[in-house]
Amino acid sequence: MNSNPNKIVIVISLSDIVLTGLAEILKGSLASEVILLHRADEIIDYPELKGHVIVVATAAELEKSSSFISQILSMADNIQFMPFDFDSNSAHSNLVLNLNDTPSLICYKINEALNSFFSSAGKENDTELTRREIEVLQLVTKGYSNKEIADQLFVSTHTVISHRKNISEKTGIKSASGLTMYAILKKIIDVSDINPDELI
Amino acid sequence: MELFNENNKLVSVIHKDHSLLPVINRLGIKLGFGDSTISEICKKEGIDPAFFVEIINVFHYEAYFPEKKLMNLSVANVVDYLIKTHQYYRQYLIPEIDRLLKLFLKSCEDHCAESELIRNFYDKFQTECIAHFQIEETEEFPFILALNSAVEGDFDKNEFISRYGNFVMRDFEDDHVNIDDKMFDLENIIIKYLPPNYDQNIGNALLSNLFMFEKDLKNHSRIEDHILLPKVNQLLKALDRHE
Repeated sequence: MNSNPNKIVIVISLSDIVLTGLAEILKGSLASEVILLHRADEIIDYPELKGHVIVVATAAELEKSSSFISQILSMADNIQFMPFDFDSNSAHSNLVLNLNDTPSLICYKINEALNSFFSSAGKENDTELTRREIEVLQLVTKGYSNKEIADQLFVSTHTVISHRKNISEKTGIKSASGLTMYAILKKIIDVSDINPDELI
Repeated sequence: MELFNENNKLVSVIHKDHSLLPVINRLGIKLGFGDSTISEICKKEGIDPAFFVEIINVFHYEAYFPEKKLMNLSVANVVDYLIKTHQYYRQYLIPEIDRLLKLFLKSCEDHCAESELIRNFYDKFQTECIAHFQIEETEEFPFILALNSAVEGDFDKNEFISRYGNFVMRDFEDDHVNIDDKMFDLENIIIKYLPPNYDQNIGNALLSNLFMFEKDLKNHSRIEDHILLPKVNQLLKALDRHE
């Protein structure tokens, strides 16, 4: 099995604001590719897409086009349809993106959905963090700043901040010293890797 | 939301929210107050009933924070309340959490490597809290009280300026966020990530105290960040006008 399959998010909307807004926000997510379409039938240009695919569009659009999209994307490993809801009063759900969601919440929902594809395949260890988040966490416990972590991982500081937000949301731990303690308890790092007097 | 008022019997208020007990202690009320109303008790103890009622309402109702009304409270009363809150943390709550934490960590019978980590984390957290209270008490609060006296004319303005002319108020907010985060982390580490070989009853008692401390600290920070700091700015402007 390919250990690192593509993680693709397809956003379908007539609104350029929605498309560019989500594209910008999803830079902080685990998605390896974001495809922006004005109409569902443009999917016909992507019959060769492989990997894990999330399709974001309004519930009405999904109802109309989901079976067509599934037919075209026959080479994808999995497809999940995620409605985009413009009604700010609707109940919160991790399976629906809402116009009023903060960028980090949108990334979190997308990441959760992408991770859920892997859950049946078994995770590498018993933490709920992704591999990238574990890398970021390891660097946090060594006392590196967001900028230094970004340089080491060749990503933007914005991405690091987004990973750190996700790590805190998932673990319920916010401070660097709390995260260090978490990483030791979860055996992500060894006590000998750090200076406990400084970091805890 | 039905707010408490000075005609309420204090005993009914406490039955409604017993977490107010340490708050009324700080305001100068001791147990054994019978069936008296807030206004009767305040009169007897020489406490401003309006101040008393606002403080217990702000503590009880998280959504209640009438900034304009609170800005009219006496600075001396607010500072006095905050200092008494620090005393309560230092003399009772922090030592009590410390005691329970020791018992809790000792209750692990196997080789519990994480005990030392948690101990270190709490020790540092405790030291940071106490240092924060200390700075407020020795630097910030005396400045605020002197500023208030200078505006009210009880303290010579020139004297105030010569003493505090270069004083820069620290923004409490960063410290507060840091303390809140660490408190939250400690709770979650114990609830979510600790192996199950610790005494659960002591763990529950420890967590109850941590939650109590968390709630109290949040309230305390709210008063400092949203009443005291704006009040200082207001007083500084008033002092400029007098010059």
